[in-house]
Amino acid sequence: MTAHEELKANAAGYVLGSLDPEERRAFESHLSGCAECAEEVASLRPVVGALATAVPQVTPRAELRARVLAGAASGQAQSRRSAWETRVGGWLPLAAAIIIAVGAGVYAVRLQRQIGELQARFDQAQATTAVLAAPDLARIDLQGQQVAPDARARALWSRSRGLVFTAANLPPAPAGKAYQVWVVTAQAPISAGLLTPDPSGAGTQFYMTPADIAPPVAVAVTLEPAGGVPAPTGERFLVGMP
Amino acid sequence: MWLLAVLARLQPAAESQAEDESSLRRLASGDQAAAARLYDRHARPLYSLILRILGNETEAEDVLQEVFAQAFCQASRYDARRGAVAAWLLTIARSRAIDRLRARRTRVEARTGEQTLGEMPDAQPDAASTMLDEERSRLVRQALGELPMLQRMAIELAYYEGLSHSEIAERLEQPLGTVKTRIRLGLLKLRDVLTEGLA
Repeated sequence: MTAHEELKANAAGYVLGSLDPEERRAFESHLSGCAECAEEVASLRPVVGALATAVPQVTPRAELRARVLAGAASGQAQSRRSAWETRVGGWLPLAAAIIIAVGAGVYAVRLQRQIGELQARFDQAQATTAVLAAPDLARIDLQGQQVAPDARARALWSRSRGLVFTAANLPPAPAGKAYQVWVVTAQAPISAGLLTPDPSGAGTQFYMTPADIAPPVAVAVTLEPAGGVPAPTGERFLVGMP
Repeated sequence: MWLLAVLARLQPAAESQAEDESSLRRLASGDQAAAARLYDRHARPLYSLILRILGNETEAEDVLQEVFAQAFCQASRYDARRGAVAAWLLTIARSRAIDRLRARRTRVEARTGEQTLGEMPDAQPDAASTMLDEERSRLVRQALGELPMLQRMAIELAYYEGLSHSEIAERLEQPLGTVKTRIRLGLLKLRDVLTEGLA
């Protein structure tokens, strides 16, 4: 028996699906190059197909129709959803509603605070810009003192528009203490306000100064009790003169 | 002259095929009414084949559901060049039912060949069965019955029981080569009987 004859004996089994996996692979690779076997396979397909109908015909129970069609509808819908969605689908809408409601409340409060902060920053930025553009602008650079030799600061002052103070490298203020900025005139040091640096020791702040203030002879930063004091009492961290 | 009738009945009418193809197309675009139409046209022959293979109504119902689920899912992949929709569905049904049967065999002691060699299950044809299905089925069974007993048994073991050639050889206690030859000769003879009228 030739290899071809041996393989051709498998044509019927191939169509019936009764070949072992190895036999089937061997026949399939032979089939692609053998017209005779391909013809036999093609001629046997309708015969095997006829076997499918050569059985007693029985009508399935009527209830099965609804089951199959319902399964088909949900199956189609389900294939478009992920398993996760299917699992949490029942309570998802309720959970989403709660999250949205709570979130909206939190968001409203946060938004209001942000608006307030933004407004303050905007006002300050606008004031800072106004100071920088002032025709009577004076610049005073401050040097770090013994307690904070690396600290640096710059004061931009306009009698009409106020004081913009920018500091860097200030050590963190100890608990219960705060930095206070002074405009020192010939008469007395006048408090501009408190300065709260960020963790890196940097901070920028806008202060209004009295319009009738005497020309400053110095600008200084001292460490004072939290909340500030009317006149400087603590150690000087930064000092600068025009 | 019954051969001519068999040939006429074996091929689904052109309009049936056209309607099936249209249903599959509409199904692929989400038309649920098309699913119902496909079920109404094919559920009976599919269920009959599955029941013949599994011999259990509950399991047959499960598998019928699987078959339609698969068909609805793969509607867009149906290729008319490879055969009629009816044949495509029957192929899916046979494959699914045989898979179920093989899974069952791994759990339960293998069924003896004797059951297979006996008559087909005692299912009573439904009173509302269409004459077409009934007649086609009867004619093919008649052609099958004309085969020599051993050829017919080998073919039935392969098709309805999903046994491989080597498994059939074991059941029938015959050499593998003999089983292959019987199956091939049986199918060729069946083919000749069913197509004789065309020549």
